Amino acid sequence: MTSLENLTSTRISLRNTETTLVVVAVVGVVALTISSHGAMLSGNSIQATLAYLATPILIGLAQMVALSVGQMNLSVGALGGFVAVAAGSAMVSLGVPAWLAVIGSVALGALGGAINGALVVFTRINGFIVTLATMTILTGLQYEVVGTETISNYSSGLRQIGAAAILHIPVVLLVALAVAALLALFMRRSLPGRRLLASGGNPLAAKLSGISNDRSVVFAHCLSGLIIGVAAVVTLASAPGVNQSIGGDWLLSSFAAPIIGGVALSGGSVSVTGTVLAALIIRLVDVARAQFSLDPNWINFVIGAVVLGTVVLAHRRQTGKTGSPRATRRGATTG
Amino acid sequence: MTMLADSPNQSAPASGESSTFAKLFAKVFANQRTGLVLLIIVLVVIFGSLRSAFFNEQLVLFPMVQQIAMLTVVGLSQLAVLSIGHLNIAVGQMAAFGAMFMGMAYQVWHLPLYAGLLVGLLAGAAIGALTGLIIATSGVNSFVTTLAMNFALLGLVSLVYTQFTTMAAFTTKPDGMEQLRRYSLADVCVGQVCGSNAIPQIAIFAVLAMCLVGYLFSRARTGREMLFVGANPVAAELSGIPVRHRIIGAHALSGALAALAGFMLAVTSGSFTAGIGSEFMIPSFLGPVLGGTLLTGGAVAVFGTFLGIALTQIIKQGLTMIGASVQSLSISLGAILLVALSVDRIRQVVSERRAVRR
Repeated sequence: MTSLENLTSTRISLRNTETTLVVVAVVGVVALTISSHGAMLSGNSIQATLAYLATPILIGLAQMVALSVGQMNLSVGALGGFVAVAAGSAMVSLGVPAWLAVIGSVALGALGGAINGALVVFTRINGFIVTLATMTILTGLQYEVVGTETISNYSSGLRQIGAAAILHIPVVLLVALAVAALLALFMRRSLPGRRLLASGGNPLAAKLSGISNDRSVVFAHCLSGLIIGVAAVVTLASAPGVNQSIGGDWLLSSFAAPIIGGVALSGGSVSVTGTVLAALIIRLVDVARAQFSLDPNWINFVIGAVVLGTVVLAHRRQTGKTGSPRATRRGATTG
Repeated sequence: MTMLADSPNQSAPASGESSTFAKLFAKVFANQRTGLVLLIIVLVVIFGSLRSAFFNEQLVLFPMVQQIAMLTVVGLSQLAVLSIGHLNIAVGQMAAFGAMFMGMAYQVWHLPLYAGLLVGLLAGAAIGALTGLIIATSGVNSFVTTLAMNFALLGLVSLVYTQFTTMAAFTTKPDGMEQLRRYSLADVCVGQVCGSNAIPQIAIFAVLAMCLVGYLFSRARTGREMLFVGANPVAAELSGIPVRHRIIGAHALSGALAALAGFMLAVTSGSFTAGIGSEFMIPSFLGPVLGGTLLTGGAVAVFGTFLGIALTQIIKQGLTMIGASVQSLSISLGAILLVALSVDRIRQVVSERRAVRR
């Protein structure tokens, strides 16, 4: 399968994936509304459902950016947790004003990402391993900052923003959607965004057309870190407090949204809409779980089954179109 | 003791230099294991001289060797799939899955110790084979498949535990399990000569696993074919190697080894819980990667995996005894991983330059 065929077929299946996701989401909402006798669509219920959607969208997008150049970022959770506790303790013990802490969080996230990228480029070690190492380091740093305490008495203004809602739509979700919109615009229209995709799609071709792949890798990691910084701010604003456990469960779910959303792990294609929709569907599964008061463990099981089903189906469709089934594929981190 | 697939695009370590010094230098320099052994010796001497309690057999060495043995098996489980260029993100949950069957075998079916172990190993191999089958037939990336499998097993295992147990753990201990936990080689005597107090009996499982995996990848046809698949799947396919079977086989081996590691953890901790394996993912990569296993497939280092795990555990133990905090442990582990791999990279660049000059 040549890369050109690959690209076009991915684009077709992407569109399909997004349509499928919209249908699944609509069916899910309707089913939940009927089974809850309309309570699902009440204002408070909508707000509760959507408030917990902001972080999954953001971490999914952060992972998506790394995937766009064919990299993986295993340090999403550790970086997010570290930034959140660092900003929290800066506000409490150093008296840093909230606006500065917000800017600082985003900058710190971007810096962390840039370090990841620089390490990948300068050492030529596989990105998987580099971010595994930085994840371990950042988890240690997070513990170093916060210990076993929970920081909760920081800026009340930030808290109010976190709890605020416009027409029952939480402000934090609007922030996440704004990030998604900007990212989509960036990837589709801007020169640096197209360069990222070119590097991810075919590094050799990108190099021959004068694009620095190294710069793309650093830039993608930096952008990924920046979005994680925003996710940390959202967590600070909406969570009851930040402690050592923040970010601990981000890693696996950060992959679930882009993969269900149809983002290619090998790089070169992204789907912001797909990632956002997938995060919504995962949230709906959680709501359904709560509504039928099922064991929380069902959600992991369902996510696993859905991811597996999605990728197998998408692949079937793709190979069915091009008519060239491939017996084997190299591991994700190859090359 | 790295086992390479003999494919043309894998450059063998530089050999045939003219001067003996260069040859010796290249040999020592090119072998990652030598560096690891030296580093381990230096660290043991440093920690031992700082804290003489470091050599306390029962309180320090015994639990440390237990940990090293268990994590070595975890590392081998990852190594089995790294050999074909795949990843297994679900290694911890496969361990939990296998251990769950062992717990059920003891508590519900009242099987003896080794029959239960066998049931768990088969369950681990089966879930691994299923993963391999999905990857081989659908062609979906191993990362995604094992990630999804991780989610599915995470949910499934916890559900089974809440369904079948009252305290979220299988606590029935078959005959021999307690002995396996506490006994060391000192309890094995041949005439007057007894083994060391420091080596727990459970470490035998790790030695067996290392021998088995080592034999597989260095001598057995199946293992060599797996390495070929890892080095170049297309060439392997064209040379008539049953690539699909090798993929399924490697994942089944990974699942069985993960289950063995789960058994070892359950024996040392005393009960079978859903939490088994939750800490396995990072060490599973640390060991093989520090030891010199390629992430891209085609080369594995079985003994190196043991050395890599031993190094990390010695550092952990040493730093704890010096009084370092938990957080500095993980910081140092991450830093070691980066430094070790950077050194490896420098080594590679240097040997490439020499190869060009020659």
